[in-house]
Amino acid sequence: MTARTDVLPRPETDGATLTETPYVLIVWNDPVNLMSYVSFVFRSHFGYSEAKANALMLEVHHQGRSVVSTGTREKIEADVAAMHGYGLWATFQRADQA
Amino acid sequence: MAKAFKNTRRGITCELDKAERDLLRGLFQDIVTLLEPERDADEDPLWALVGMDPNAHAEHFPVPRDRAELRLLPDAVKGDADASLEFRRLTERGLRERKIGGLRAAALAVETSPLLLSPAAAAQFAAALNDVRLVLAERLGLETEADAERIHDIDDWGRADTVEEYLALVYNFVTWLQESLMQALLQTL
Repeated sequence: MTARTDVLPRPETDGATLTETPYVLIVWNDPVNLMSYVSFVFRSHFGYSEAKANALMLEVHHQGRSVVSTGTREKIEADVAAMHGYGLWATFQRADQA
Repeated sequence: MAKAFKNTRRGITCELDKAERDLLRGLFQDIVTLLEPERDADEDPLWALVGMDPNAHAEHFPVPRDRAELRLLPDAVKGDADASLEFRRLTERGLRERKIGGLRAAALAVETSPLLLSPAAAAQFAAALNDVRLVLAERLGLETEADAERIHDIDDWGRADTVEEYLALVYNFVTWLQESLMQALLQTL
């Protein structure tokens, strides 16, 4: 006789523990960085289209800030370091606190 | 006088006269001096090579006190000094080394006339010009769009009497040069 194989109860999972909390990269306006330069950096670093890069650049210029990239903490930290390399004023934070 | 950057089949090129090349080289070197990390005399050169900091986990990790230096190496988390310091410990040394590398390359590039850059070298050159402008802007107290307008209006080299006027003229020249470089670079994308 074979006992019926027990099926272990599936543990309750919380969605948030399975996927990492997303982070965002924010670029802030300053009166020094040229619009052409900011747009160039968004196109060359993130691979954004001309239209998207210009829209983000104008949002920085007019709204004072823009969320330029979203992803894992690791990715966003690398993006922030890259933006600082270009001299842009960039910060990162959890997406739910942006 | 310098002519604007042009995107040609050979690369991105610009003609600068000797005074302009000397000025730019001096500016790039000044920023290198500003950014150079304090190295222990017996520090293993491998640290510099990999951009890691042997003092990353030292009890006291100093945040730049000079405003221009802080503008080049800004806090990464707004309103959270602890998180910013943590990020700084892990990344600031690498950022310094990368910027210094780019500024030294730019200082070397202006030794050649005419200046001829590949698109990748031109992007690095643009970042070096941007670092120069950030530091000059900080020294000029340029914080608002109105400050930018006021500084933009200083355009007469014959009437630069004060250090501030001279710095403003230099700032405007580097701004013009970077803008012309961006127009040439955008054509390569």
